[in-house]
Amino acid sequence: MQLTIISLFFCLFLFAQEVKAQLRNMPLFPEKDNKKKGTQIELDSTTYDPSPPDPIELDFLTSYYAQDGNNGAVTGGIGTEKLTDYTSKVILKIPMTKELGLNVDAGFDYYSSASTDLIDNVFSGESSSDMRVHGNVGVSYKLSPQQTFGLRVGGSREYDYTSFNTGFNYGWESKDHNTSIGVSGQAFIDKWKLIYPTELRRQGALVPTDKRQSYNGSLTISHVLNKRMQASVQLEGIYMNGLLSTPFHRVFFQEQDAAKVEQLPGTRLKIPIGVRFNYHATDWLIAKLYYRYYWDDWGVTAHTASVELPVKINRFLSVYPFYRYHTQTAADYFQPYKQHTLDEEFYTSDYDLSKLQSHTYGAGIRYSPVNGLARMKLPFKERPVLMVKSIDVKYSHYDRSTGLKADIISLGLSFSF
Amino acid sequence: MILLFALAMSAMTSCVSVKEYQKMYLNDAEMELAARKVEYFETNFQTYREGASGANGGKVGGGCGCN
Repeated sequence: MQLTIISLFFCLFLFAQEVKAQLRNMPLFPEKDNKKKGTQIELDSTTYDPSPPDPIELDFLTSYYAQDGNNGAVTGGIGTEKLTDYTSKVILKIPMTKELGLNVDAGFDYYSSASTDLIDNVFSGESSSDMRVHGNVGVSYKLSPQQTFGLRVGGSREYDYTSFNTGFNYGWESKDHNTSIGVSGQAFIDKWKLIYPTELRRQGALVPTDKRQSYNGSLTISHVLNKRMQASVQLEGIYMNGLLSTPFHRVFFQEQDAAKVEQLPGTRLKIPIGVRFNYHATDWLIAKLYYRYYWDDWGVTAHTASVELPVKINRFLSVYPFYRYHTQTAADYFQPYKQHTLDEEFYTSDYDLSKLQSHTYGAGIRYSPVNGLARMKLPFKERPVLMVKSIDVKYSHYDRSTGLKADIISLGLSFSF
Repeated sequence: MILLFALAMSAMTSCVSVKEYQKMYLNDAEMELAARKVEYFETNFQTYREGASGANGGKVGGGCGCN
């Protein structure tokens, strides 16, 4: 899989090189150019640009995640939540001209889940596993030295879910580069393959639709406060409609032993607002603070705060311990195992929607020497050297008040050529 | 929430103009006002395991995350 992705990106890179070469050779005004053929050599010699092309940037991200708990939603709020997930993603930024850039990303998640193995009520001993693949292509165009506009399309696919998305972004920066404003919008058009718990499969349609749409709009304002401080505010609105429950989540009731499929409202409005504040306190210590307030019309209100303290060992090496705290109220439709009653219209025993607090802590290390970590020769005239720019490794431990615990280790490598 | 937004906005409009040559600390890679790229997957998992999402550069749609 990884080899396929790398090959695809290599082909894309060759294609981009070809398109770029053609763009450079293509005269903007062919007729005018023909008339001035006699002065062509002189023009070329005066417009020759000795500066090398802007570098192509490539990021490779990968992570391994493992969790365990005893509130699996597939089994109605009791039972295993054991899950492991291996993910990788490649992000490529290709400058086509001084104004136009091409952005491509692609990746996959390979997970094994003991919980989804129990959709069939038979624990096979080996966890159910599947893969999700996803990719996006976008362009960004510099409208002026201060304004950028971008468009993107993408999609993802997994065994029971297909998603298509499209979006735009607009960015403005003040002349002194001290203030910037970003506006973005995205739409996701998704389709489920409905898989019900095995004992409920002969009852016909148990959910009203197999489609889901999500729309989000975001406004971000960043500002330099002084020589050592900068901050940003991000306001976002997310509206979802369609099938917002999961068709293979069971819910058990006080009055009966038989389970039903989780039912949730067909719309959900989410409004988060996040604030970031970075302070370069000393030459070797930085404080990065983040706070988010979240509200939605299902009754979930949440506060999330985090602090990260990068310590600069030298100019290129930093170590960053961090701590994150999250607290939320339960959704109006949540009740634990066998606490719901049959007269309720909506019900779930998914502990992700319960009242909870979580603590996440860990540390990371980032190394980015000015001349790169390593260099490799490439067979391209315009881009003869591939440079490994930086490496970032991070470990986090997640502890949720419901008993769920998780660990994740992530690796990021940045290249340019 | 409106109060928080207003407070943040007022703090951000009441400050000095910093020249390019004075941005040695601000241009430090660690000072970026966004989540680290290496946090991409971690943010997604938090979105799945908690009822709240958004305003953090993470996933807001596409893919069920219902494992």
